[in-house]
Amino acid sequence: MAQCSAHADRVLDLARAEADRFGHRYLGPEHLVLGVLRDGRSGACGVLEAHGGDLAAARAALGRLVDRGLVPQPRPSDAELLGMLGVDLEAIRRTTEQTFGDKAVGWAVREATRARGRGVGRVPRTPLREPPMLISQVLVHAGEQARALDVGMIGPELLLWGVVTDIRTLWPRCMNNRWRRQLHASVGLPAGYRGAAGPLLGALGVDLEELAAAVVAELRAGVS
Amino acid sequence: MSEAASSEVTQVAAATSSQDPEVGLAAVAALRGLVEVLEALQVENARAKGWSWQQIAAHLGVTKQAVHHKYAGRRFGFRR
Repeated sequence: MAQCSAHADRVLDLARAEADRFGHRYLGPEHLVLGVLRDGRSGACGVLEAHGGDLAAARAALGRLVDRGLVPQPRPSDAELLGMLGVDLEAIRRTTEQTFGDKAVGWAVREATRARGRGVGRVPRTPLREPPMLISQVLVHAGEQARALDVGMIGPELLLWGVVTDIRTLWPRCMNNRWRRQLHASVGLPAGYRGAAGPLLGALGVDLEELAAAVVAELRAGVS
Repeated sequence: MSEAASSEVTQVAAATSSQDPEVGLAAVAALRGLVEVLEALQVENARAKGWSWQQIAAHLGVTKQAVHHKYAGRRFGFRR
């Protein structure tokens, strides 16, 4: 799969910051839209703004989605929750990595959180890792388009393409399983969550068909 | 009990008996997510040092069957 460019990484960092701003303990496509707008330096941002996207309006619209229950209310972070129990998460992370090494901790995290048939002692996520990124389908669509255009790196435009395509495409059945439902519930997402970028862009009055066409034009202009 | 330890126990009691179940349960879930990883690390470490399932189970305070059911089939022995 194509890798994200430094610019796309910056957009992802800003999207994480926006998720944190809302007290959301996951990264979803709706936060990516905010990340693209907050970055403000990409062709993707220009396209979004030309179609009615605006950072302040998008934040307000996401706030209304919270009120409608489409995305969660603000929640404390894992570090804050564990702090309430008198547990210093950073100290445990540091000590564990020093004792066993990054590789062993990474292995244990995968073992404890990976989806398996029997469901014994399995947890959907652990505080030892960053909040889950629920944008796998966005990245799949962005990667497919990158291959189609013969582009080596995924930039902000391809990320936006991924978001728009994700909205317009049904999720594959494999995305609806018990492990994923547990993961969504653990970060407070409502049942049946499929990303909230669609309602967000809808609230901004963005026409998805026109936006998709404009993003493709921007991508082709960038390639040629 | 030291003052610091006493304060810590009070904090634990306050969070686990929080009036807001959403906060209290989320705190317990975060703790569980942490414990599961630490347990997997320690079980792998014990197996690498030649401990039997029986010994591991005794130290975890569970039956041998329980620990075997949970961990048998897991891919132990990552490359350090």
